[in-house]
Amino acid sequence: MPLQQLQQFVSLIYPLKEKEWNAFAAIWSPLECRRKTILTAAGETERHLYFVLEGVQRAFYIGDDNKEATLVFTYPPSFAGVADSFLTQTPSHYFFETLTASRFLRTSYRQAEELMQQYPNIQRMVLNVTALALKGVLVRQAELQCFSAEEKFRTLLKRSPHVLQLIPHKYLASYLGIDPATFSKLLGSKKI
Amino acid sequence: MKSFDSLSLLEQLQADTRQLIATATFLKNEDPGILLEQPGAGRWSVIQVLEHLNSYGVYYLPALKNGLMNGDAAVNIFRSGWLGNYFTQLMLPKEGRVKNKMKAPKDHRPAFHVDAQPVIETFLQQQHQLLELLELAKQKNIGIRIPTSLTKLIRLKAGDTFRFFIAHEQRHFVQIENTLAEVRNTTGKFQVAHQAG
Repeated sequence: MPLQQLQQFVSLIYPLKEKEWNAFAAIWSPLECRRKTILTAAGETERHLYFVLEGVQRAFYIGDDNKEATLVFTYPPSFAGVADSFLTQTPSHYFFETLTASRFLRTSYRQAEELMQQYPNIQRMVLNVTALALKGVLVRQAELQCFSAEEKFRTLLKRSPHVLQLIPHKYLASYLGIDPATFSKLLGSKKI
Repeated sequence: MKSFDSLSLLEQLQADTRQLIATATFLKNEDPGILLEQPGAGRWSVIQVLEHLNSYGVYYLPALKNGLMNGDAAVNIFRSGWLGNYFTQLMLPKEGRVKNKMKAPKDHRPAFHVDAQPVIETFLQQQHQLLELLELAKQKNIGIRIPTSLTKLIRLKAGDTFRFFIAHEQRHFVQIENTLAEVRNTTGKFQVAHQAG
């Protein structure tokens, strides 16, 4: 059943033929983690690619002034892990941790790389996933720089209404680049 | 004796190590004056605690590496040795607190330091080496025995050595949290000096 979720997700990104899908399906193993488990540390090269079946995770950065920035949340269905470190096989700048108990399918760089060498369509699919991720990052960057706190807040709720229940507010505030007090105020004025 | 699924144990130990890396990263950005301050006469500053931990890393990281490299392939189940398990349980902080105090052996008593950053850097480097070793250990039999730093006559299984080593670090990180709180004169949250935002 987990593989079904993965297949469904992948089919929306790029269609794979049966032979390609079977090869792709074979490289994934199940993984379960408790909440607040750090799966990748800054300075470590991301060895794995995750597909989220259950739970919420975040990637965050610790700055020089100890300011912590939450960069991205992942929840089903989506790929997860520190993507740039994985694809470039260079040390991650970020920490990747579970916020709640989580279940994943997980594969390794070596297995993914072998598969991409062998099947151009799988490489194409990975390229598409990467392009979508990049698109999301740029949209977000523009919003972070241009939107007011209220606009950012409303955009988040419109895009992912369920996050308020799933994710602790301090992390959401960090993600939006809003200070926690402002976030609470916006929350209070939100019409349920 | 206590048994573990080898892979799950190593994954858990890696997660524990990453948590130490995260906390140490926050320490790196802390005011050096605070890190170097001793909370009382004869009591260790945060940097001295880290130096104490580093001194164990200097011995155990190469010892583990050599032991594992020379050993054979991985086995699914790891059976903890009774002594290794005992030492680990002795070290582990319970419910985030340390009740039984111990005196550090002579070779592992840290000197007074003037510069905080190199000590933290070394600690972080060692934790990354530890992560790599734990990754290597997934392919190896962690039942192979590693001589302890105290005496070569006592050898613990690699799996237990990892557990004991990390439990020891976790124990001292409780001490670091307490020390920071004292030196800062606040009841600090565990994640030292960081603000989400």
